Amino acid sequence: MKLKELVYKGIVTENPVFIQLLGMCPVLAVTNTAENALGMGAATAAVLIGSNFVISLLRKFIPSKIRIPAFVVVIATFVTIVGMVMKAYLPALDAALGLFIPLIVVNCLILARAEAFASKNSVLKSVVDGVGMGLGFTIALVVLGAVRELLGAGTIFGATMTWSSFEPAGVMGLPPGAFLALGMLLALYNKIASMKLKKQ
Amino acid sequence: MSASSIFIILVSSILVNNFVLSRFLGICPFLGVSKQVETAFGMGMAVTFVMALASLMTYMVQHFILIPLELEYLQTIAFILVIASLVQLVEMIIQKSSPTLYSSLGVFLPLITTNCAVLGLAILNIQMELTMIEALIHGIGAAVGFTLAIVLFAAIREKLEYYNVPEPFKGFPIALIIASFMSLAFLGFTGLV
Amino acid sequence: MREVIKLGLILLLITSVAAVVLGITNDATSVIIEQREQEEKAQALKVLIPNADEFIQIEETLFADRQDIVEAYEGLKDGVVVGYAVKVNPSGYGGDVNIIVGFTNEGITTGIIIGTHTETPGLGSKIEDEVFVNQFTDRMTDNALVSVKRSVEQDNEVQAISGATVSSDAVINGVNAAISFLREVIMNHSSGCSCCG
Repeated sequence: MKLKELVYKGIVTENPVFIQLLGMCPVLAVTNTAENALGMGAATAAVLIGSNFVISLLRKFIPSKIRIPAFVVVIATFVTIVGMVMKAYLPALDAALGLFIPLIVVNCLILARAEAFASKNSVLKSVVDGVGMGLGFTIALVVLGAVRELLGAGTIFGATMTWSSFEPAGVMGLPPGAFLALGMLLALYNKIASMKLKKQ
Repeated sequence: MSASSIFIILVSSILVNNFVLSRFLGICPFLGVSKQVETAFGMGMAVTFVMALASLMTYMVQHFILIPLELEYLQTIAFILVIASLVQLVEMIIQKSSPTLYSSLGVFLPLITTNCAVLGLAILNIQMELTMIEALIHGIGAAVGFTLAIVLFAAIREKLEYYNVPEPFKGFPIALIIASFMSLAFLGFTGLV
Repeated sequence: MREVIKLGLILLLITSVAAVVLGITNDATSVIIEQREQEEKAQALKVLIPNADEFIQIEETLFADRQDIVEAYEGLKDGVVVGYAVKVNPSGYGGDVNIIVGFTNEGITTGIIIGTHTETPGLGSKIEDEVFVNQFTDRMTDNALVSVKRSVEQDNEVQAISGATVSSDAVINGVNAAISFLREVIMNHSSGCSCCG
């Protein structure tokens, strides 16, 4: 498989959020603004790329019997590093994402890529897979975050996008808005996919 | 520690800050294991068991190991390992001692390690500066809240089988929209505590 | 048996490497974090007590039994107290809201600075808006502040943000905690001292 295809797979055909529905907790929890969504996506992508790199590097050294605990330790290490760096350089974002930074450890997406891809493929391919999946995850989060921020606060990335008489629906920034927006986006995705299928 | 503070922690963790519908913890099993009320209840019970134990274990790890050694930054790594071993241990004990219980809860146990509600609970317990007893009660309350949400959700999804849902909404989209309405209803508990 | 030991050793090796890496990262970042927090605090204190040239941290034992109070400072100019700043962290809708409240030496508020918080963007996050924050400037602090949902009529009233009552009340509670601490402890305490001196 070519490297370009690997990236395309992560973003479109096997998008972790829209197709595989992996790692739904942060997808719903921290997409109340586009900025938070981007921060979460970037943090997750960084952990994913790092853990894919190390796990594929060590794939011949780690016996299969203890691979899961070993993967978890590697992932947790990267999560902690990302958390420390964010706290040092992006304190406001770190506070907004709060609990969901350490919870990247239990994001099923990362363990799934370690188990299904990085433990079986070369270092280069694994890193590219991490980039593709990380990008796919980030894009999905930012789309959801932008929709929620636009409807919930009338802004995208903090910039006002609506006319002055627009009354934002604050509930979109709250938990019910997260479920609703993701449900609607998935339905839209299905609709587009089925229309494409009919054309063919 | 008074009876009223126990009550406040319980109400807050079951209703106001419901783990699934307001904190977004444990979404994967909430969406994945909620097609039937019976399995949803089984999952809820397994989670309750693990959460109560995990609250105690992670409290002890934090206060008797990490803080005395000034290794608080290893919290994430330590907690996830404690939870993973705990789940493994519980699975082994149940399998040996009660095959009936194992056949009803066993299938859910491996899923719980990556249930972010358990790790989330452990970290929240520390952030909220709870005592050991309070942490235990918070764990039980969170798990009861999780069970409540997943069982109610499964009950609605069972009924949904009989309705003609528009094609693009079938499966996860309609489930998410139902979750949205449930979350809206739980939002009404805000300010209760 | 030998296999178990081998597996255990490999896992131990991985974990030890992880711990060492994290230890090094922690050493590097904790310095930066502390330095940044110090700078931010110094900047906030300078804004809230502008004419002070020296800040002294007030002893923690004085507010150990009070809720929501994190830190407190006296601002001095040429050795004379010219103002106070109290850092509070009341709970809002999404978690703790960090606020620093400034006072003159007569106990009138000089303003508040909203720090990190996790209130809902577009709703609770409006506690950062100038319209709301400015309500806490130049307040006499004889009475506790009260949150109202209509326009302000009494001296001690603060207009809550519509749709974000919990977040607004959190800020008001935090400021009130700072006020009562200042009135009941600091100002009593320091006036006692100046008698002795």
